[in-house]
Amino acid sequence: MTTTYRSVHQRQPRLEGAAKVTGGTVYTADLRLHRMVHAKALRAPYAHALIKRLDVSKARAYPGVVGVFTAADLPQHLPRDGANRLHTVLADKEVMYYGQPVAAVVADEASVAEEALDLIEVEYQELPAVLDILDALKQDAPPVRHSMAGIDRSELAAHTTLAAADEQTTEKTPPNVTHRMVWSRGDVERAFKEADVVVERSFRASWTHQGYIEPMSGIVDCDRNGDYTVWTSTQGDFTTREGLAKVLGVPETKVRVNFVEMGGGFGAKIQPFGAVLPAIIARILRRPVKYIFSRSEDLRSADPSSQAYIETKLAAKKDGAFTAFKARAVYDSGSFPGSPLMAGANLLGAYYKFPNLEIEGLEVITNRVSQGALRAPGTPQATFAIESTVDIMAKELGMDPLELRIKNAVTQGDLMPNGRAFSKIGLVEVLQRFKETSFWKNRNGKPSANGKKVGVGFAVGGWLGGGSPSSASVELNADGTVSVMVGANDVTGTNTSFAQIVSEALGLPIERINVKTGDTSLAPYAGVSAGSKTLRTVGLSVQRAAQDALDQMFKIVSERLECSSEDLESVDGQIRVKGSPEKAITFELLGTMSTGFGSPTPVILGRGNVGTPAAAPGFTIQGAKVEVDPETGEVNILDAVCVQDVGFAINPLSVEGQIQGGVAQSLGLGFSEEMVWDDKGVLRNPTLLDYRIPTALDLPRIETALVEVPVEGAGPYGAKGVGEPPIAAGAAALVNAVSDAVGARVYTLPATSERILAALGKLPG
Amino acid sequence: MAKQIFRLKVNGDNYEVFVEPNRCLHEVIRDEIGLTGTKEGCGTGDCGACTLWINGAPVTSCLMLVGEGEGAEVTTIEGLARDGELHPVQKAFIQHGALQCGFCIPGMIMSAAALLRDNPHPSELEIRQGIAGNLCRCTGYTKIVEAIEAVAAGSR
Repeated sequence: MTTTYRSVHQRQPRLEGAAKVTGGTVYTADLRLHRMVHAKALRAPYAHALIKRLDVSKARAYPGVVGVFTAADLPQHLPRDGANRLHTVLADKEVMYYGQPVAAVVADEASVAEEALDLIEVEYQELPAVLDILDALKQDAPPVRHSMAGIDRSELAAHTTLAAADEQTTEKTPPNVTHRMVWSRGDVERAFKEADVVVERSFRASWTHQGYIEPMSGIVDCDRNGDYTVWTSTQGDFTTREGLAKVLGVPETKVRVNFVEMGGGFGAKIQPFGAVLPAIIARILRRPVKYIFSRSEDLRSADPSSQAYIETKLAAKKDGAFTAFKARAVYDSGSFPGSPLMAGANLLGAYYKFPNLEIEGLEVITNRVSQGALRAPGTPQATFAIESTVDIMAKELGMDPLELRIKNAVTQGDLMPNGRAFSKIGLVEVLQRFKETSFWKNRNGKPSANGKKVGVGFAVGGWLGGGSPSSASVELNADGTVSVMVGANDVTGTNTSFAQIVSEALGLPIERINVKTGDTSLAPYAGVSAGSKTLRTVGLSVQRAAQDALDQMFKIVSERLECSSEDLESVDGQIRVKGSPEKAITFELLGTMSTGFGSPTPVILGRGNVGTPAAAPGFTIQGAKVEVDPETGEVNILDAVCVQDVGFAINPLSVEGQIQGGVAQSLGLGFSEEMVWDDKGVLRNPTLLDYRIPTALDLPRIETALVEVPVEGAGPYGAKGVGEPPIAAGAAALVNAVSDAVGARVYTLPATSERILAALGKLPG
Repeated sequence: MAKQIFRLKVNGDNYEVFVEPNRCLHEVIRDEIGLTGTKEGCGTGDCGACTLWINGAPVTSCLMLVGEGEGAEVTTIEGLARDGELHPVQKAFIQHGALQCGFCIPGMIMSAAALLRDNPHPSELEIRQGIAGNLCRCTGYTKIVEAIEAVAAGSR
């Protein structure tokens, strides 16, 4: 039986769209407050150095400067937490990455603050910097940082003891290795001996930037009560509150984070990097402090995505059955630990059934800016490695690469590397649906022309999906409209989807529903908008709150109409007796009853609060068709597709849009995006001209196909997370397509023209 | 640097601002005039978020000094809707789901509206060329191109 829906599962344009298209939507930088001052940071020109002398006296004396701050001026933040970059607001004696803030100038005008930066005198003593990921693994590497205080290596010790068979355990842990883990099952070595084909390769993925168009930004005020008010570009108002409260050493009740629209985050804006510095200065000055990163600062010293080095070894029988997978994954965390090693290493071996498996994962620190999340963190790197390896295996076996994937794809009950079994998943359904896409049908459409080579590639990707507790409220207003309040930051249209959910539950037209993200002193709690979880976690709370409100209304109506609640239905803004539509009470009347002066009827206030819902991994297959010029190495993307299991598309319009954006980003990781540092650890491309995120001309029309394998309890109507799966596989698909086109393979992301020419033997590798 | 008086005409309204002559046009429009729909994403003319019209031509206003705006008809995203009615491109962007975070959208729409004014029936390639200077990180451009195509089809 097909259920018909009135509001959910419908293509619903964004309810706040008019403000966005007219310039009316407010972002942090748009705000100006009375007595507001502007902060600018002086950033270190070295990747690793000691600060021998720091003289800010001339900057302090500069007209218009309100204050100059160094680590020595912020004693309330000591002792700092060495493992946590948030607590290292300004470099304290040691610079650990290029672009690390060393001092901050505050002035009435941003331009004055910037001018005064030039007057700060710093004497550095340069130290040897560890930059290459493999150098960081070495026993005799110089330490990335003098102080390892606060960096927890106990887990590392535990894991190395467990893996007693490993040779490394007898050695002392190298100084820059901050985490090591091993997952294994079966007997990989025996399986390799008994295999018909073994493929063994190694891969690298470069540092990349999330590329949000709105730079990091924050405004913080602090009044005489010690109450902080915050406006900042963040994915999580509540996580911002938590982070700031910890750094400031104040209760969370003292920090109020207002919702302002965020101009893109993609994982980078989980930690409140834009708000910490202004918060501390606001505490000292008791004035609102505005801090906006320049684009160059943002590219140099925000929290980009880590590089990785991954070795793979895959064994198969002649019929294509995979028998063993062994891998070693190294993730570079930059100067602070916290890389996505576990997520990446797990997904590396999670797409296929491997009876025998061994994955070793290592996290190293280097003298680079500390890494942050980038949409399915760790996954594009891991997917590039496994999906390149699988493509090579298909070639070695002489099998169709899609059939090989279908044959080995995981289904419910199969084990991930971490030993957990998959719940209900839709990978096989996704792979089958791929054959029905226009992309697949037209894959052989265009012949190579002008000496250019055309190739088709695809890759599987997935993301397990995060989760966290959440809550929401649904309240009936006097005029019969409904106000919904959540604490989740809306990035991709979640508030519109919440309105659809409430509309469906209440039988009320969506125009009469207003969803707002409240500030942290008023809104029901929600976790950070990350991990592909906002709609499925907060959406469940919204659904429950709507049901709670409806139950309350049914109770009132059943008493009024002297019938049972079971006999009632809510349709088109009125609650009526089933089969007798003339017996009805409108939402307007209920609103009046529940708010009127002297009325005995209670306010209709629905509440929904849920813990972390059931896991709902989302899988995709992505395809790319490319045209490669073998003379120049230039890649032109002709077609792109993403088939994704979304569980249930609450709003297919926004689901498609989010998938297309993820595909675009993943293709960027595939062919153009790379942070380029010189051998001193200085970033050479800190502009959006040189850090190349795809333009409209770089991309084709991106086809999407939604597969719906709903998982009950995972999200409203069985919805799964959408945001992250589509970035997992695009880079791998593109590299497979390039390989199909030119017959040579690139082993380092991105597959730039230079790397393609090197793979063809036309440039030194 | 000593402040000076500059006279700007923005969205048909006349303004006098007293600012340093080294201020960029988008800063003055945002901070002095208070029209914050024009965004700054890079400050170096690479992202297109600051796109507005000078005498009808789309420009990246972060590369212009305030004085360069004198004597010109400046149109910002706030001036695109007429008599309370959204411009067809604005309507289409909402209807076709062409916006997500929205930060690039004012600049994107200014480029798209200029394109369609000069070339009412562009090919897909012409559309992509028209907005190639406006970076969007959320949408992958597909729904933006569809929205622009829909406006073009509607004007046939």
